[in-house]
Amino acid sequence: MVRVGDKLIGYATDPDVRSRGASGGLVTAVLAAALEKGLVEGVVVLKRIDEYEAIPVITDDVQEVLASGGSMHAVPVNLAKYAAGRKIAMPGKPCDVRGVIEQAKRNGVDLESTYIVGLNCGGTMHPVVTREMLVRMYETDPEDVAGEEIEKGKLIFRTKDGEEKAISIDELEDAGYGRRENCRYCTVKIPTSADLACGNWGVIGEVAGSATFCEVMNEKGKRLLDNAIDVGFVEVRPADGKAIAIREKVNSAMLKLGDEWKERVFTGIPDQERLTYYMEQFADCIHCGACKEVCPVCTCGEDSKCTMFHSLADNYRMSMYHMVRLLHLSDSCIGCGQCSDVCPVDIPVTSIFRRFADPAQKKRNYEPGMDLTRPPFLEVMLK
Amino acid sequence: MKESIYTTVCPGCSIGCGLYIRESDKGAVSVDFLKSSPVNLGKLCRFGMRLPHYYSRLVSGKAEGQDCGTEDAVRAAASRLKGAGKIAMLSVGNTTCEEHIAFMKLAETLGTVVHTGIPVYAQLPPECHPHLEGMPFIDIENAEKIVLFIDPYVQYPLLVRRLLAAKRNGAYIISAGRTELHLAHENRKLSPEQCAELDLDSGSLIITDVHPHTDPCHIQQLLNIALDTGARLQVMKPFVNSEGADRLAKSRAGMMGISQIMSGIERGDIRTLVLLDSDPVELMPDTSRAVEVLKKLEDLIVISSRDSPVNAIADVVIATEPLYRKKGTFINAEGKLQENSGQGIDGIDAISMLSRELGADGFDHRQVHGYLHERMIETLASENRKPEYCRMECGTVPAQQNGACTLEYMYNPFMWFSQPDDNGFVLLDRGMVKSLRLKKGGTVRLDSEKGSMDMRYKVEKVPEGTILTGRKLPIATATVTKIKAEGC
Ligand SMILES: Cc1cc2nc3c(=O)[nH]c(=O)nc-3n(C[C@H](O)[C@H](O)[C@H](O)COP(=O)(O)OP(=O)(O)OC[C@H]3O[C@@H](n4cnc5c(N)ncnc54)[C@H](O)[C@@H]3O)c2cc1C
Ligand code: SF4
Ligand code: SF4
Ligand code: SF4
Ligand code: SF4
Repeated sequence: MVRVGDKLIGYATDPDVRSRGASGGLVTAVLAAALEKGLVEGVVVLKRIDEYEAIPVITDDVQEVLASGGSMHAVPVNLAKYAAGRKIAMPGKPCDVRGVIEQAKRNGVDLESTYIVGLNCGGTMHPVVTREMLVRMYETDPEDVAGEEIEKGKLIFRTKDGEEKAISIDELEDAGYGRRENCRYCTVKIPTSADLACGNWGVIGEVAGSATFCEVMNEKGKRLLDNAIDVGFVEVRPADGKAIAIREKVNSAMLKLGDEWKERVFTGIPDQERLTYYMEQFADCIHCGACKEVCPVCTCGEDSKCTMFHSLADNYRMSMYHMVRLLHLSDSCIGCGQCSDVCPVDIPVTSIFRRFADPAQKKRNYEPGMDLTRPPFLEVMLK
Repeated sequence: MKESIYTTVCPGCSIGCGLYIRESDKGAVSVDFLKSSPVNLGKLCRFGMRLPHYYSRLVSGKAEGQDCGTEDAVRAAASRLKGAGKIAMLSVGNTTCEEHIAFMKLAETLGTVVHTGIPVYAQLPPECHPHLEGMPFIDIENAEKIVLFIDPYVQYPLLVRRLLAAKRNGAYIISAGRTELHLAHENRKLSPEQCAELDLDSGSLIITDVHPHTDPCHIQQLLNIALDTGARLQVMKPFVNSEGADRLAKSRAGMMGISQIMSGIERGDIRTLVLLDSDPVELMPDTSRAVEVLKKLEDLIVISSRDSPVNAIADVVIATEPLYRKKGTFINAEGKLQENSGQGIDGIDAISMLSRELGADGFDHRQVHGYLHERMIETLASENRKPEYCRMECGTVPAQQNGACTLEYMYNPFMWFSQPDDNGFVLLDRGMVKSLRLKKGGTVRLDSEKGSMDMRYKVEKVPEGTILTGRKLPIATATVTKIKAEGC
């Protein structure tokens, strides 16, 4: 029996799952066990299409879960929307987890019946940009790639003939490649608001690459892990002091780097320039609504304020849709990057929204998506 | 909890944006983003985002007023086609290359050709046609000067990001269209022949489109400009596979534009019309008139994957699976071959069955796909040696009469496919607002020979006397309709 707060090193007992997993297959095994034992009705998995593409699916097939392991750094999807209205278990990067928590605050998700196995996250890359990066920076044919991993600040690609090429992430990002912009200034790297927080930071020695560091965050996390151990899918042992210290150290370094990026991007906008700034930023918007559709913290559905007050026939100097959304999301935007990813006219929506929200969130010392105890601050203020 | 997920392309226009369609076990359809698609990086415009609407109306087969299955519908179609003369067949490219090829084979059996509905091809010399084929979209980003005869925001939205990228790369952008474009450095109301004023050269790119109502004169003039200056032409097309349908045509002899087909029906030169995922009711500017004309046909046979307005008046409807489920390929406006992950072959099977009923050979997906391969190889081989064409004498695009007020269509995916959108307003300029004393937030009354209607309006910099609409209006009689506008 594990306890809340335990920091463990673990892996899947099935050698296939363990070797296919990103670092020991523990996450896959925990999700499969939850389904096997009826803790949940379905599991969100990423169905792999190729090295650069995967699509989230909800499955009740244990075998499909077991076959889903591996971390896909070039799949910048957000899984939070798939959790709504279902009794499921899901893996989740910090932005996935935070999306679920924000939805739970707005009654979009029932956290009691949603189990989240969190994954540490250093960032994701856009698949098409990754392909271009492989050609330009790695001089490698994207079709020859057999796998990738991040180690010691370097992004390493392995080709089918076993060759490895590593380039530092800093160098890639200076050249305009690497992680998506929002991941660079992302402020949560270990998903402490998930039920379990798993990652490879702190996995050292002989198990490096074949085990996961797993922190039990709450009672649900304990239930998940105990269940997986009970059915024999997972083995764990306590992490030693050195492992814990290394995980902390890397996390602090990543957060520091993120803060530096934030300072670069979130510069203040002088009062008299604000309206012009937002008008100019959104001038090419074609009002497709994709940025709302993908937003993991938006739970309004069809009847939303931003669309209700907005009409394409309006002649306002600034779109009411964006005006309302900027205000409405100022307490909940987590900077997940989905809106920028899908914007058909390449408006850097995430940076605009995060830049708008940052001073308000900072002033109230409020970090969205971190726990249920603090309701959205706009809600509190309005009451 | 079982879901089916299809990798497919958006049917909205010939950009061919990649996407996923998710289908639940209860038949609910939703869209998901295919971020690895090099065409659009998973991004979609308003139309793509609303595909669940587009796919919400399922088509059902019918023959002689009765609902029926595919076999009965095919038999009914065959019995009408046997011995029928004056047959026309239309496929504008709203389906896979493979189905289009199967349809072409059926046309051979019937001793006719498949029309793609675009008059430009019928009227320009064949050596010009390869110059209307698309080029890689990345070339837009690398152009030095770009002249736009389209409104990319409304008509081909996924071009906007390419144009913005071009601008970041230093391109100078001139909009010569009807609306003022935010992304353009210069907005000039230019006719194609006035392009000569723009100092174009081989680093320049002219972007226009050919659709069922494009004036061939416009394209002729642009081809002349291209010849004189070395500028390149990027010609957009309206439907998912219009580019494929046009590239697949071996010869365009006898091909007709959609308006010519409709006139042919009116004159009685066409008595039987066979449609493959192409609906003249949607394609013609005057919906009610189109219905009247189609009712004059002796036989109206529809092969379709969706329930569009023409089905209601068809004698026979052969229903096939929705586009996203079809096995097959599409060619987009940059000449890229894209493939559906679906495995549905209802369409090809139905056309093959019809061919057998008519006494010819049947065929399967493998055979028609083989033909596509041959044609692709031929096209690729000819890509680098496009035939030369000579300067053409052409008329002028009719100038607008002073003081006249016209209602003009801004064709876009919502219009072609009669899909709901919240574009229920017209665009007009400030001068008109003042002269008609229109009230802010009010409506404008539009009168034509067909009747009168009140519309909300939005103020834009459009040419004086022009009222633009992105939605088909019942008072329109053509793509440009003479109207009277009044304040109300
Ligand atoms: C994009 C990404 C970045 C990461 N960065 C770090 C890091 O910097 N430091 C660190 O310690 N750990 C990081 N991890 C976590 C680490 O790679 C392993 O996932 C973790 O150690 C668990 O290993 P496992 O073998 O138990 O997981 P597996 O058994 O392989 O299970 C992995 C699970 O993750 C899901 N998954 C894969 N890709 C994604 C994705 N893009 N988005 C959402 N879910 C996905 C899969 O569906 C599967 O359920 C990252 C993971 C991802 C997905
Ligand atoms: S936003 Fe943060 S959690 Fe999400 S993918 Fe980027 S770095 Fe990871
Ligand atoms: S506004 Fe954009 S970045 Fe913020 S949570 Fe929504 S999708 Fe993510
Ligand atoms: S995704 Fe982009 S274009 Fe679409 S509504 Fe949002 S900002 Fe506008
Ligand atoms: S209509 Fe055209 S631009 Fe819009 S999503 Fe479809 S293919 Fe892309």
